[in-house]
Amino acid sequence: MNEWCKKTPLEWQALLHKELKVCAHEKQQHQGWLFTVDPVSANIVLVSFEPDGKASIVTVMGHAVETVEVLNEGSDAISNRLVSLFMPVAPQKHSK
Amino acid sequence: SERYLALCPTTISSSDSAVDSATFVEEQKARTVLRERYIRSLLAMVKKDVHFTMYERVKVNAVFGASDIDILNFQVSDLQTPLGVQKEALIRCPDIISYSFSIDAGLKD
Repeated sequence: MNEWCKKTPLEWQALLHKELKVCAHEKQQHQGWLFTVDPVSANIVLVSFEPDGKASIVTVMGHAVETVEVLNEGSDAISNRLVSLFMPVAPQKHSK
Repeated sequence: SERYLALCPTTISSSDSAVDSATFVEEQKARTVLRERYIRSLLAMVKKDVHFTMYERVKVNAVFGASDIDILNFQVSDLQTPLGVQKEALIRCPDIISYSFSIDAGLKD
């Protein structure tokens, strides 16, 4: 098991919505905003927003991760974009 | 399942004092948030054409169907291999380095 897989969920959560550069096996490099890390497999889900209005999602398998580097701390705007990409529309407010 | 529990050990041992039980709760909360997001990312991938980069520079495309809970196998359709198209297949996750797909970012207001 590599160093990345041994991290705790709290350490992974601290990286959410930051821009990361991930180096993996066979000299693969990926860059993007961190949407989540699966706590079971340590898979890293990175999102990059393309100019044509599409979002490209790359998941690097936890077992193949070599190094993870933070490039950008992110912002509220990025957090909102990431959440709205995958999460259902916020529930309506109900009266008590 | 027991298999799932074995794959998902808590990082704090249960014999620790009450001080750690607060940390334990925090850690479980973090685990829930992260896991829910991961499952949503898998849901977004259903019926999408996914590009898998595997070991030994093997690159294949397939339509994603489902995953088991411990992320050991992906069920895919129309797996495009150098030997032809496999209608239905299971991909073993330990053989994958990364996978990618794209979705509409459609700015919702």
